[in-house]
Amino acid sequence: MAGAAAPKPGARIGARQETLAGYALVAVPMLFFLVLNIGTFFYAAYISVWKWNIRTGPVEFVGLRNFERILTDPVFQSAVKNTIYYTVIWVPLTMAVGLFLAVVVNQKIRGQTAFRAAFYFPAIASSAAITMLWIFLVSPYGLFNEVRGALGLNPLFQFFGYGPNENWIGDYRAAMNTVIVLNAWTTSGTFMLFYLASLQAISHEVYEAAAIDGADAWQAFWRITFPLLRPGHFFVATVGVIGGLQVFDQAFIAGSPNGDPANALMTIVLYLYNTLFIQINPGYAAAVGIVLFVIIFTATLIQRQLFGRTPGW
Amino acid sequence: MMIGYALLMFVPFTWTVITSFKTLPDATRLTVIPSPFTLAAWEYAIGRLEPSVVVLFGNSFFIATVVTLSNLVLGSLAGYAFARLRFPGREALFLIVLATLMIPDQLRLVPVYILFSGLGLTIGTGQYVAVILVMAISATSIFLLRQYFLTIPRELEEAARIDGAGFFTTFWRVMLPLATPALAAVTILQFQGTWNSFFWPVVFLIDPPHQTLPIGLTFFRLTGGQGTNWPPLMATVVIATIPILVLYIFFQRYFVEGIAASGVKG
Repeated sequence: MAGAAAPKPGARIGARQETLAGYALVAVPMLFFLVLNIGTFFYAAYISVWKWNIRTGPVEFVGLRNFERILTDPVFQSAVKNTIYYTVIWVPLTMAVGLFLAVVVNQKIRGQTAFRAAFYFPAIASSAAITMLWIFLVSPYGLFNEVRGALGLNPLFQFFGYGPNENWIGDYRAAMNTVIVLNAWTTSGTFMLFYLASLQAISHEVYEAAAIDGADAWQAFWRITFPLLRPGHFFVATVGVIGGLQVFDQAFIAGSPNGDPANALMTIVLYLYNTLFIQINPGYAAAVGIVLFVIIFTATLIQRQLFGRTPGW
Repeated sequence: MMIGYALLMFVPFTWTVITSFKTLPDATRLTVIPSPFTLAAWEYAIGRLEPSVVVLFGNSFFIATVVTLSNLVLGSLAGYAFARLRFPGREALFLIVLATLMIPDQLRLVPVYILFSGLGLTIGTGQYVAVILVMAISATSIFLLRQYFLTIPRELEEAARIDGAGFFTTFWRVMLPLATPALAAVTILQFQGTWNSFFWPVVFLIDPPHQTLPIGLTFFRLTGGQGTNWPPLMATVVIATIPILVLYIFFQRYFVEGIAASGVKG
C-alpha cells in the first residue's frame, strides 16, 4: 500500500493486528458514508426513473419522463431563475464586503481581534433566528422603515416605488433582494475569515518593494493584493457559488415551502422540498435533486476554467 | 467608521433583546427603553407557545449533544486510523470520505427520506433517530482530526508500543490527550453547527413536540398564527442564540481558526 514502510523483522503479527485495528476503527463511519452518501447517490438515480409512492414504493417505470417534465415545469423555471439571480448578486456582493472587512482587519491596528470577532458575529447565529430577526427589522412598522423615515430618506424610496411602510419580505418585488442583503450581511464574516487566511500568506517584502517604488495604499491594493489573492478569490467564489445555488433556509423561513410571495422566494432546493413534501412526488423530487447536482457540478467546472489552475488547487 | 460598522453588527441582536421585553404595540415603536418594561413575552414563550420553548431548547440540546459526541468518538477513531495505522485500502477509503463532501445534502434528501421512512424513522421518537443518524459523522470531523494526528510526532506512540501498549491503549492514553486542541475545535464547531442546523431537522422533525428551536421558531410564524406577535418571537430568537453566543465569547479562537482551516462550511 502507498505509504506503508517495509515491515521490520519480527513485526509480522503486529502488522496483522494493525490491519484489523485499522478496519475496526473506520468500519462504522465507512458504513455511514457508504449507505447514507455514496449509496443514496445511486438510489436517487433509481428513484428518479419511477413514479414512486412515498409509502409503498415504485408504482410505474417512467424512464426519463420526470426529467422531461422538469424542462416544462413553470415553477421549476422560476426556481432556477430566482436561484441564479440570487447567486449572481449575492456572491460578488458578499465577496466584496468580505474582502473589505479582511483588509481592514488585517491592518496592524489596536483591537484587531475584537473587530474580527465583531464582523464574524452575525455568522454564528442560526439561520432561523437571524432570518426571523431580519423579518422583524424589515416588517412594515419595523426598525428599518422607522429609521429611514426618521432620517428623511422616504422620498428616495418613494422614487423607486416603495412606500413608507413597505413590507420588504412580503412584497414580491423586494423579497429576494431582502434575503440577499440578509445573507450578504451574515456570510461576509465567513468570507472575511477565508480572505484573511489568504492575505496572511502574502509576504511583506512585496509591499515594501512597492512602497520603495512609490506606490500608495490604493495602488498597492489593486496592483498587488488583489491579483495575489487569486487562489483566495477562487476558493471563496467556489464556496459561495456552491452555497448560493443551494440557498434554502432563509427562503423557507420567510416564504414557507411555497416560496411566497408569488414564487418570489422559490429556489431550487425549496422546490425540491416542495415536490417531496407538498406535491408528495418522490420520483419527480429525485429528478429535481439530480438536476441540482448537475447544475452545481457544472458551475464548479466553469469556475475552474475561468480561474485556471491556481497554486494549491 | 470601522467602529461604527462593528457596532452596527450588534444593533439587530440588541434590538431583538429590547423587543423581547416590550409589549406588542410598543414593539413597533422606535424606542430603546421598553415602556412598559414587561416579562410577558418571555412568560408567553415559555408557558403559552405550543410547544413551549423549554421543550424546543431541550430537543436542540439533546440532538446537538448526541451528534457532537458521535462525531468526536467516530471521528477521532477513524481519524487516528487514517493518520497512523497501515492497512490495505486505506487511501481508497479516505478518498471515499472526501468524496462525500462533493455530494450535496439536497441530492440525498429523497433517498435518505425514503430509506428512513421504510425503517419507521419518520414517526414518533424515530424522528430524533433519523436526524441523529444523518448527522452522526461528518467527513469534516474525520478530516480535521486526521490532519491533527498527522502532526503528532511518531516517537511518542512508538515509546508506548515498546512498553507493550496495544493500538487502543496507545490511542486512548497517548494520542487522544495530545489531540485536545483538535477535539475542542470539533466539539465547538459541531455543537454550533448542529444546534443551528435547519435542513435535516426541518425534513424529519415533523411533530412539534420533537422539534428543535430553529424549526419551532419557523413554524410559530408560518403555521402557528404567531406571524407578527413579535415580542415572544424575539424572546425565542434570544433563547436560540444565547448558548452559541456564550460559546463564541469563550471560544472565539476555535470558531475563527476552525472555519478558516476547514473552509467546508459555506
